Amino acid sequence: MQIDLQTINIKPLRQNFDHLTARFGDKPASRYQEATYDIQQTYLYHYKPTWEPELEIFDERRTAIRMKDWYDFKDPRQFYYGTYTLARSRMQDAADAAFEFALDSGMPETLPDAARRLIVEVLVPMRHYEWGANMNNTFISAYGYGTAIEAACMFAAMDRLGIAQQLSRVGLAVDGEAALDDAKARWMDAAEFQPLRRLVEDTFVAKDWFELFVAQNLAMDGWLHPFLYTHVEQLSLKESGAFFGLSSKFQKDWSAETVRWVDAMVKAAIGDSDANRNLVAGWVVHYTARTREAVEALATAVFGDEAASVVSVIDEAFAARLTKIGL
Amino acid sequence: MSVTAIREYIGEPRDVVANYHGNQLLYICWDRHLMFAAPFIFMVPPDMKFEEVLTQLVAPVIQPHPDAAKIEWRTTSWERGGALGDVPWQPDFDRSVAENGLVHKTWLRFRAPGLDGLAGAGI
Amino acid sequence: MDMKADRKLSLKDRYRHLTRGLGWETSYQKMDDVFPYDKYEGIKIHDWDKWEDPFRLTMDAYWKYQAEKERKLYAVLDAFVQSNGHLNVTDARYINAIKLFFCAFPPLEYMAHRGFSMAGRQFRGVGTRVACQMQSIDEIRHMQTQMHTASNYNRYYNGIHAMIHQLPRIWYMSVPKSFFDDAITAGPFEWMVAIGFSFEYVLTNLVFVPFMSGAAFNGDLGTMTFGFSAQSDEARHMTLGLECIKFMLEQDPANVPIVQRWIDKWTWRGVRVLALVGMMMDYMLPKRIMSWQEAWEIYFEQNGGALFKDLARYGIKIPDCVEQATLEKEHISHQLWAGIYQWNFGTALHAWIPGDDELDWLSAKYPNSFDKYYRPRLEAWREMAKDGKRFMNTGLAMNCQVCQYPTIFTEPGDPSTLCHRELDYKGEKYHFCSDHCKTIFEHEPEKYVQSWLPMPQLYQGTCGGGGVQEWMDWVHLVPGQDNMDFEGSQDQRNFALWKGLASSNK
Repeated sequence: MQIDLQTINIKPLRQNFDHLTARFGDKPASRYQEATYDIQQTYLYHYKPTWEPELEIFDERRTAIRMKDWYDFKDPRQFYYGTYTLARSRMQDAADAAFEFALDSGMPETLPDAARRLIVEVLVPMRHYEWGANMNNTFISAYGYGTAIEAACMFAAMDRLGIAQQLSRVGLAVDGEAALDDAKARWMDAAEFQPLRRLVEDTFVAKDWFELFVAQNLAMDGWLHPFLYTHVEQLSLKESGAFFGLSSKFQKDWSAETVRWVDAMVKAAIGDSDANRNLVAGWVVHYTARTREAVEALATAVFGDEAASVVSVIDEAFAARLTKIGL
Repeated sequence: MSVTAIREYIGEPRDVVANYHGNQLLYICWDRHLMFAAPFIFMVPPDMKFEEVLTQLVAPVIQPHPDAAKIEWRTTSWERGGALGDVPWQPDFDRSVAENGLVHKTWLRFRAPGLDGLAGAGI
Repeated sequence: MDMKADRKLSLKDRYRHLTRGLGWETSYQKMDDVFPYDKYEGIKIHDWDKWEDPFRLTMDAYWKYQAEKERKLYAVLDAFVQSNGHLNVTDARYINAIKLFFCAFPPLEYMAHRGFSMAGRQFRGVGTRVACQMQSIDEIRHMQTQMHTASNYNRYYNGIHAMIHQLPRIWYMSVPKSFFDDAITAGPFEWMVAIGFSFEYVLTNLVFVPFMSGAAFNGDLGTMTFGFSAQSDEARHMTLGLECIKFMLEQDPANVPIVQRWIDKWTWRGVRVLALVGMMMDYMLPKRIMSWQEAWEIYFEQNGGALFKDLARYGIKIPDCVEQATLEKEHISHQLWAGIYQWNFGTALHAWIPGDDELDWLSAKYPNSFDKYYRPRLEAWREMAKDGKRFMNTGLAMNCQVCQYPTIFTEPGDPSTLCHRELDYKGEKYHFCSDHCKTIFEHEPEKYVQSWLPMPQLYQGTCGGGGVQEWMDWVHLVPGQDNMDFEGSQDQRNFALWKGLASSNK
């Protein structure tokens, strides 16, 4: 039976703010649209930045790509702060349940050596990679153009901090502070991490924020996350059961969701013009080659003779993803 | 003194006289008539007779004040703004803005004798 | 959760591992290239590790606490919308106070967000960056929840519809917009003093509290709920601002004069922006919380006084401008409302002459100034309106080169004389409302020569043409709808009509 609650119905004068009516017509805009479209100023700035006097506060020239409408970078997940925090708190709850189960079952204490080493020598040092991703996404939020992409990048930056913190907790659980100290030492000095660290530091001096988006969120994550959370995890599973997987639930859930957003951003850029497509394709080639080199070094350390085949699987999957995007 | 910046920082002023198409800006304040919340800004051709600035530009905007109709412009006394403070200034009502030495963005304040605004409080 | 492994770690150490432990000294790229903006301001930091985390919130906890707050906030907002909660405000004039808030705050919260993204990338201290980043997304939250709250008001009332278009165009928005443009074009350390410290710590109770309390006092459940929900975010922001100041001052005595100059500048710029709040408190809230003067006395003279006593040990002194701000506490709200009233054709909100009980409240709250200087003009205008000659100032107003207000402020000590200061720089004249705006210009002339001043721009023809009608079209102000007197406005008619609909059976 239908319950038809009555409320007093007053006819509104208008459905929307003007800027949303101009875009979407006189029907009520969604909360995502209200939260996002045209919020960043574009028209006038009183003063030039003292940190970059040649450009304006917000300036399209901070990237080589051009967009007819910067709001074509709309988020397919339609995250505004409310829906974002809700999604993340749910994702965190699920991850916490998995990790707590692992801890309560005494898994850290009973890890076989090989599995322990995978955690401490491969997984935990990646907290620094995640911190680099935080820095890069924060850069995009700072210097990007248009609320749609930059706000989503700030959310992504906080996600990477969250992941870095989770990886840190895994280290603490397995071997206390020593795990974190060792992980840092590996990140800084172990041969297998240097191509990756060098790449990460090179991204820290990139100036073009969309280039950085392609480098970090498409190329680097597009290789590193499958490497860790598919291939290394499978290896760990063989060695010792579920601890690696139970510690990494957040990253897997997050990755599946984030890839949709990343792909949509790249698609929007390359769909806007051939000039954009050429730029993005060039960046993809460059950063994929560097990322591949970094993953090869890690894969060799972890998989030995199997490294080439692991890398090849990742390569094929990434190439398929690029094809789907349209590159 | 220069702005602390990462590199040389030179600002481009937005209100240079060239932006006013042969005209210039002139500020005029009616002293102790705070019914008008701020000094007025006018755009004037440099060859406009000063008295006409008063009768054609100032008079219409101050007209709502009860004192306005009583002003005899040629009896008004004036100050002109400067970097060291506002100084007494005598206009030549018959000569032009430029001939009176009024440069772009000059600020002037005037009083009319016997007119002290409302309520004894300069309103 | 992982208590077994790290129960030996203190909370402070644990948090450090989960934040500053993530960073490293780069070796393939120079640190100065990775962090190119945190040295040019001349602030010397010898040991970033001395940074004390102002709060300890890991992302798992952040997401949970914030999601919970969002759930509650949107539940109330949805109920507010569904029940036509806007009809519960004390008096439809109140909605004009909230128009001021909604037209200014969301785009400026957004500026705060971008500024904190910048600081969140540019400081080489990891702990500092984490705290700044958290504030960056908090500011996204504030912008978005405000837009969502404003949305409902926009549907039923006028003056809010063009807020995005108007922020960089309409004359009174130049005041807060230039404030944030000034802060975000500064370097990261000055940004922190301007926004993190001056705005979010020293002055926050004079901005945030009046608007939110005003909402609570006047039956605006939507805005009030936003305000209460944002309070714990603001508490974090205050601690970050304060830690930033202390950190800079403790790192090197050479930082003290730089920081002092910034505190002086931003206290004054902030005080000037706050005239809008003072006006709102004294004139636009049908149910008033307290007077601007009272708010200044409590939140600045007392609380601020205590703060500066605390900072004195570093060599920081109370800014010189505080003396004038204190003198002006009895005047600025009245001076600004007088301006809004007479230029009401050019505002996206309605104005009115306060009723007799409100005039009496103002007399009681301002015994030294109101009856002598301000009641006479309001009563004169009331009489003019009765005679069908509603007072309008059809002249254009001079703007201050720095704060960008029309120069409505008076000589300190002489409320009957408009204050005028002037200087010449590179062959151009510049005018100011006060010594303090002039001093700000003198320290950074190349910055403030760039100001986009509303009235000079209009005369240049950049605002739609050259005349007032063209200007109104250009700013998307709908005459007879968005502007002018509350009496006879569509807002007034509609509110009465709808309230009638909601409470009678006619």
